[in-house]
Amino acid sequence: MTKMSDRLKIVFMLCLAFVTTGGQHFESKVAQLLQDETEDIKCFVELKDLTCFWEEEEERNNLQYTFTYSYENKNKMACVVSSLSLLASNKTVFFCKLPKTPFFTTLDVQVFRDGRMLYSRSLNAENYLFLDPPRNLTVLSSGKEGQLNVSWLPPLLKYMDDSMIYEVRYAVEGSNMGKVEVIKVSTMLVLLGLQSDTRYKVWVRVKPDGVAYKGYWSAWTEPVLGVTQPSDLDPLIMVLVLFIGLILCLLSMTVILSHHKFLLKKLWPDIPTPEHKFPGLFTVCKGDFKEWMSQNNSSMWGRSVQVYTEELPSPLEVLSEVSLTSHGTSQREERKPVEEDEEKESERSDSGLTDRWREPPQAHWLMEQLRALQENPQSLSQSLLVQSHDTYVTLNQNSQGDGEREVDDVFEETLPLQTLFTTTGTTSLSTSHSDLGSLQQSSGSGRLSSQSSFEYPNQTWPPKGPGYTYMAVADSGVSMDYSPMSSSRITELGRHRMYTNDYKNEIFLHKWPLFGEHNKSGSESCMGPVW
Amino acid sequence: MQTFTGLVSVLLVFLWLGGNLVSPLRPICDLRVLDHFVREARDSEVIMRGCRGGCGAMKSYFVPLTSVDFAVLEHMDVNGQAVEVQTGLSLLDQALSNAMKTVSNSPLANALDNNISNIHSLGQILHSLDLQQARSTVLPDDSAPASTQTQEVSSLPELLQVQSSFLRGKVRLLLSAAPACQRQNS
Repeated sequence: MTKMSDRLKIVFMLCLAFVTTGGQHFESKVAQLLQDETEDIKCFVELKDLTCFWEEEEERNNLQYTFTYSYENKNKMACVVSSLSLLASNKTVFFCKLPKTPFFTTLDVQVFRDGRMLYSRSLNAENYLFLDPPRNLTVLSSGKEGQLNVSWLPPLLKYMDDSMIYEVRYAVEGSNMGKVEVIKVSTMLVLLGLQSDTRYKVWVRVKPDGVAYKGYWSAWTEPVLGVTQPSDLDPLIMVLVLFIGLILCLLSMTVILSHHKFLLKKLWPDIPTPEHKFPGLFTVCKGDFKEWMSQNNSSMWGRSVQVYTEELPSPLEVLSEVSLTSHGTSQREERKPVEEDEEKESERSDSGLTDRWREPPQAHWLMEQLRALQENPQSLSQSLLVQSHDTYVTLNQNSQGDGEREVDDVFEETLPLQTLFTTTGTTSLSTSHSDLGSLQQSSGSGRLSSQSSFEYPNQTWPPKGPGYTYMAVADSGVSMDYSPMSSSRITELGRHRMYTNDYKNEIFLHKWPLFGEHNKSGSESCMGPVW
Repeated sequence: MQTFTGLVSVLLVFLWLGGNLVSPLRPICDLRVLDHFVREARDSEVIMRGCRGGCGAMKSYFVPLTSVDFAVLEHMDVNGQAVEVQTGLSLLDQALSNAMKTVSNSPLANALDNNISNIHSLGQILHSLDLQQARSTVLPDDSAPASTQTQEVSSLPELLQVQSSFLRGKVRLLLSAAPACQRQNS
């Protein structure tokens, strides 16, 4: 029995607690509507029961009131009026709760006091829903910065779950400035754009969406605190700044290294030295210019310093024309001044070939000599005066009578030289061509284009001492045919006359026993430039 | 004879296929369609309130009952609800068609025409949910059966209000409680 009584007590207490909680909500709703609603009789639906109430200032007894309602042309039904004292505003309210509230139909409500109708109203119950605030509001920090996860449970109403609209209000703790987010049907929301590491208060309220059901906004839930994640941007920013700084450093270093020479020139310019023009002046002679001069007798200096007014002649033997048949010994010597040219082959002329030139063996011997000579180009440059097998230069004679002969003479004159050059091959010939750039080919012209002046005694050359006659040959262009000769022309060599202009060159005299009648007396030595 | 039986069997196969292909409609469980119809019914009420002239004659219409008792609803089976909804929709269809004949105001007439087409669409939705039970419960126009399932209204505004309440209440509760949709949700 005691157990049963205890159980009953517990059940009673629970029921009372339930009622009071309902009552708390009820009272707050009444209080709120008392302020907001303008109708005389205010009605709302709570948990599918319609409650209509009115305020009365005077002290009245609830039994004085009669509350009736009807719908769908049915008979009027009565409702028991109750009273409620609002503690907050110290007001008394009379209300009536309809036991079975019909929805989706027009309700006619009337309040009578002492037989007289006090208030009357027609309404559809489904349009005045006053819901309870959402339950179990939770605010959690999401994994990301500046976000909060808000979730709640909808009010316990069957058939109305999909007709709810929610409003979420959030503000920084202690601040009155709050933002509102509206969300339909769904019972969770993610708040974005929040400050990091900040405490926020969150409220939620609910209302029917207005399509099938209408109503008032529910009361706000109790605020729930949530803390956003602390900002983890600082280390990230530092890392980014370091990274960018590193990249900038690398870029600047790359630029500096690629242009370091330019930059160095600008910042630390070189002092120009003339050392490259004076090789060995500073290293060997240690700045002593006189010593360097004495050491260095280069051709550059020799050329630029004009010791002699006249140009130094080069030893050159010119072969004059010798008529093998009729002319006999018509010798003409031509002294040919030749400009020294370091790139020219050393041109040596020997006492001219005689009429025996016609004989092929002589020509062959000449060829052999020339070949040997060409094979030793060094010897050519060194002792010009000693060697008699030097290169020949044939000059075309001016005064030849016959034109035809002139032509032939030209060819004959050019033949030995051609012979000379063909033996060595075309390469040397080509070089000689380039070397003798001033010489023009005048095949067929038969004219000597040089401006050389020759003077020599007619036939005999009185032997002189070791003195020499030299010619300052200033020639700009001697027409020579140095074209490579064909073999046919070589064979013709013997038939043509040779031109010989013999210098009075004692050196060559004894070397050429073949040249008989020509006076090779007289010596000449050309003080040639140092090759 | 064998060819004849073969032909008959082929025809039967086709009929069976045709029958199976026609009937299974995809259930329309999204209540936003109904919400659209509800909004348009409410628009008709608004137009009615603003109508000045040519807004229909005073005439009595037989309309379904719209009241919903949740306590009772929980104990009612779906088929009973479906019958109720079906008859109610047909009643509304008739009443709106009759009312449109007397309306000369073009916005109102258009709104009424819209409502009628919406009611037809609702019939299709119910058919998709296999809830179109009562096909032959169309009541004749002239008769005024004192059915417990009907009520009488005397003006077009009342008719429109009934329509709105009916759609928001009974029709919506039926669609939300349809077994075809419950299977999808669960």
